[in-house]
Amino acid sequence: MEVRPTTGNLSRLLKLWRLHAQMDLIWMMRDLRSFLMYSGSDLLITAAGVTAMLLLAARFDGIGPWSRLQVVFLLSYATLVRGLLDIFFNYNVLFISRRVGRGQLDHTLVQPQPLWLSLLTEGFTPFSGSAALLPGLGLLFWSLRGLSLSVSPQWVAWLLLNLIGSAALTTAVSYLTGSLAFWAPRAGEEVCTSTMGLFNELKVFPLDGLSGATRLGLLSVLPVGFAAWYPARALLRLGGPWWALGATPLVALLASLLAAWAFRRGLAHYGRTGSQRYSLFGHRR
Amino acid sequence: MLSAPIRGFGKTAAMAASGFVGDSPLFLADYLLRFLRVLLLLSLWRMILGNRTAGGMAIPVVLTYTLIAEVFSEPLTCRTELDVALWNGSIATRVLRPMSLVAQFAADSCGKWAFGLCLFSLPLLLASPWLGVSPMPAGVRAGLLFPVSLALAVSVGLALEFLFGGWMLMLEQNPWAFGRMRGAVTLLLSGKLLPLPLLPWGLGAIFGWLPFAAVAAAPLQVYTGIGNPYRLMLLQAGWSVVLWLAAGRLWTSNRERLVAHGG
Repeated sequence: MEVRPTTGNLSRLLKLWRLHAQMDLIWMMRDLRSFLMYSGSDLLITAAGVTAMLLLAARFDGIGPWSRLQVVFLLSYATLVRGLLDIFFNYNVLFISRRVGRGQLDHTLVQPQPLWLSLLTEGFTPFSGSAALLPGLGLLFWSLRGLSLSVSPQWVAWLLLNLIGSAALTTAVSYLTGSLAFWAPRAGEEVCTSTMGLFNELKVFPLDGLSGATRLGLLSVLPVGFAAWYPARALLRLGGPWWALGATPLVALLASLLAAWAFRRGLAHYGRTGSQRYSLFGHRR
Repeated sequence: MLSAPIRGFGKTAAMAASGFVGDSPLFLADYLLRFLRVLLLLSLWRMILGNRTAGGMAIPVVLTYTLIAEVFSEPLTCRTELDVALWNGSIATRVLRPMSLVAQFAADSCGKWAFGLCLFSLPLLLASPWLGVSPMPAGVRAGLLFPVSLALAVSVGLALEFLFGGWMLMLEQNPWAFGRMRGAVTLLLSGKLLPLPLLPWGLGAIFGWLPFAAVAAAPLQVYTGIGNPYRLMLLQAGWSVVLWLAAGRLWTSNRERLVAHGG
């Protein structure tokens, strides 16, 4: 039975977020060694992901049309998007193909609440998942202090809207490709790893130097350009049409609708075939 | 006598290559990602350097460096399935096989590299004129020394792989977190993504002495004619000896822990 978002569901959403935040804190305090290992590795990966571009910007005093501090802003934006995803969609909620391919979606489906509510809350890790958000905020303040940008409340609202849009777009693309795992559980189990790898690796690059066709491809078929480059460019007012600030949230909305359609179709197929996990010849028995 | 181990190595490599297709029919998506990455990196260098020369490297040299780094990406990264085997316990059955552990993992990796070489590296090399990049080495000497340097790089890479595997075992750490952390650091320090002479504040000169640079930067510098190739290869050989000795000691002292983990 389909359950649509209601006021009751929204209050439950907040309640579940609080509950998962508490559990995350308890895990962090109980197993400090694992926490330090995971957070340390996340922090290191985040740092390594942006350091290459930072070093290049430092060595050549910017990258193409981007000044050094503008590059820092781009990197802060990319890091903040990653931070949001780490905080809200941990435990393979973002890497949905793993849950589907491994038959673990059943654990979510048996819960007495709508699927969307489970997916929005199960991966909420505000403490252990903050290893990318904090450096992202640091980079943001660093860049904003040096850039001659008028930071008004309206600009901050656009920044937040675009950040949420980029995070939503990344999630949508992950769910769109991850839906493949409904039809090909074994082959598609790690498809989200490839998708997220693509986004994580490419989103820190300024795409200005690419040919028109390739850039268009990265803003449509593989919309990695909207994960950081396009919105950062719009927020820094480096050119583009007047509606550039609204483009990322709009594309995110369209991508989310497409992803929801693909996921529902996959779920309907899954409803007929079920998981191979529990069959005699199943994968990962 | 010698043909049996070689045949075993070849069969293991072939199984790994064919298993790659069976396990992940969506592997073409990964190649698409890598191709996009090459396009982006090439455009990035063109955007940054224009017609300038930096760190003794002109733009054609930097582009060749970037292209060859992608063509030989797998051997220059040199990762094996060791961490997976330690994680899922399959290391226990590997110990029972009539082949040394190092040879097994090396053969596995070679099989996968061969697959990538045919489906990605060769097409990329063929596409290089279309990308406006010369795939040729700096000269005849560079072309002749490169395979030797690449072999030394693989040797250092495998030694690092077993050394990190041994540490992971000793510290009883999660292989995924450990592997991701190592991958991120290695990419930066190895000079595979950014040529070391282009790093600011003299960092390249420091990173050049580290074993990570012996895995990627050294063969790429030999190929593109940056620096003294004999010095680079001597450093690679030195790291290879030191790291294999260290890895051997670590695995010997960890033998009991390995037994506890297997299965």
